[in-house]
Amino acid sequence: MSGEAGFDREFVLGELIAARDADELCAQLTPVLGAPVALLDATGAPFGAAAEPPGAIRAPLVLELEPLAYLACACDAAALKAAARVVRWGLLSRARFRMVSDLHLEAVRADYAKLQQQNEALRASEAKYRELAEALDAKVKEQVRIIDERQRQLYQAERLASIGQLAAGVAHEINNPLGFVTSNLSSAERYLAQLEALREYVPAERWKTADMDFVLEDFAELISDSQQGVARIARIVRDLKGFSSVDKPDVQLANLNEHLESLFAVIAGQKPAGVTLESELGPLPPLTCLPGHLNQAFLNILQNALQAVDQHGTVTLRSCATDTHIIVQIDDDGPGIAAEVLPHIFDPFYTTRGVGGGTGLGLTVARDVVLTHGGTITADNRPEGGARFTVELPL
Amino acid sequence: MPELERDAGRLTFKLVYYGPAQGGKTTNLMQLHDLVGAEMKGELMTLETQHDRTLFFDLLPLGFRAPSGLTIRFRLFTVPGQVAHDGTRKAVLSRADGVVFVADSQRTEATNNGESFQNLVENLGRVGLDLEHLPIVVQFNKRDLPSILSEDEVRERYEGAPWPLVFASAISGSGVVQTFRVLLQGVWRQFASELELDTVHGLDEAAFLRAALGEAR
Repeated sequence: MSGEAGFDREFVLGELIAARDADELCAQLTPVLGAPVALLDATGAPFGAAAEPPGAIRAPLVLELEPLAYLACACDAAALKAAARVVRWGLLSRARFRMVSDLHLEAVRADYAKLQQQNEALRASEAKYRELAEALDAKVKEQVRIIDERQRQLYQAERLASIGQLAAGVAHEINNPLGFVTSNLSSAERYLAQLEALREYVPAERWKTADMDFVLEDFAELISDSQQGVARIARIVRDLKGFSSVDKPDVQLANLNEHLESLFAVIAGQKPAGVTLESELGPLPPLTCLPGHLNQAFLNILQNALQAVDQHGTVTLRSCATDTHIIVQIDDDGPGIAAEVLPHIFDPFYTTRGVGGGTGLGLTVARDVVLTHGGTITADNRPEGGARFTVELPL
Repeated sequence: MPELERDAGRLTFKLVYYGPAQGGKTTNLMQLHDLVGAEMKGELMTLETQHDRTLFFDLLPLGFRAPSGLTIRFRLFTVPGQVAHDGTRKAVLSRADGVVFVADSQRTEATNNGESFQNLVENLGRVGLDLEHLPIVVQFNKRDLPSILSEDEVRERYEGAPWPLVFASAISGSGVVQTFRVLLQGVWRQFASELELDTVHGLDEAAFLRAALGEAR
């Protein structure tokens, strides 16, 4: 403990008075006491220049309990004692001053150290809260984005569900009459053969007059045409069901090409006469996906392409596979996408069509579906003119 | 740990009077100065005050010579009680070998007592002193005033606390020496064997107390 200079240490003479000041003190006291005066330290050794005069008596200077120094002079004892009291008073003042200033210093240092600690703690907590605030901001944005996306997916899912229900209803309603129409046509075909067998029993004149040869021939043709028509209706119904995937709403392993073909069949009926649809479908590995949703996505992109080429043009659907991805490209040779439109093309409710022409959701829904599958969708202008949409789906 | 200067043959105990503002710490030292008849007794050194309140500390030196020739000194300090002077209080408390906690018996001061004691505990920790082993005496001062907690109430509240309780009225001097005696007892019991007070310096507990308080045999 003595190694530390605490305010509460006991002072030695040298801490309270400088040797030069001691000399001055002794010099000033000499004429007062009428004889040379010396200041001795606690051990009795001279402090300062003045040596203990011969025959001197000593007066102790006590600050607390024990002498800190002695005043030595060969003079009257009472006078020396009085002088010693004055000197002690001066030393005591010095001691008090030293103690208070040391204590003050100690306290200030401790307070400063404490303040610094608090400051550091404050800074740390401030940094923590700033970090939290930033994280919060990012989190809120992320949540808003997710809610936004979920909303669109919900919208999309509901739309798909209603399409699916409609398709299921239509398919059911059409399939029943289609069944008996098909069956009736077969019966009619059989009956026609029976009618023809009646030829030898009818007078040739009557036969000729009624032009029965032509009637029978044309009748067969009508039935055959009707059968073809019915078969086509059956195929459309089947495609519609396949497109809506109403009977398989869950994730499944699907051959994307089959779905693209049925999709093509559906839109073939919608396209204007001057538009050519081409498909170059390469062999694809099976993909785990939601086929109904993907169909909707590709339908939206195809419809966008059809709208772009308007009455005349070509829309090309292409598919191929790499080691890791299935790539589907839809090209058109329309006017292409304007530069100011390109950055917003997937934004919700962004549309270049007039009021009632489009919801501005088609491509947004397409993008959302592709993103849900972990894929990417990009829109570009082809160097040879027209736009190209590329969808990449990870295997 | 008391400071032992073997060369100078001196042993110094630092004893600190702690407690809430205006609880009577300085008055305790003033009375001790008058009442204790120790062989060596210095002046009460009172540093700057402001409106009768201690700003830095008071210091009362007491001492005696042991049969072995060892000079045993006690330096009694008071701390400033006001909350604002915590840095000073902490500095004064550091290196203490014993503490008297001077509590104010008035009912209105119960909260201040509690806060001040809490502050004592915190500062002991900060200056590296062990509350478990440091000799501490709790003095309930101002027994002469009206509307004070009764002795039974105080005892009930301090039941379970390990520190000895002394009731005092420092202004009239009652209980002041008793408080100091109980503290000296605690100090002797804590440090006697370590400092060989009994074996080497010829000071058993009774002799130690007698000499320190300057009482006749």
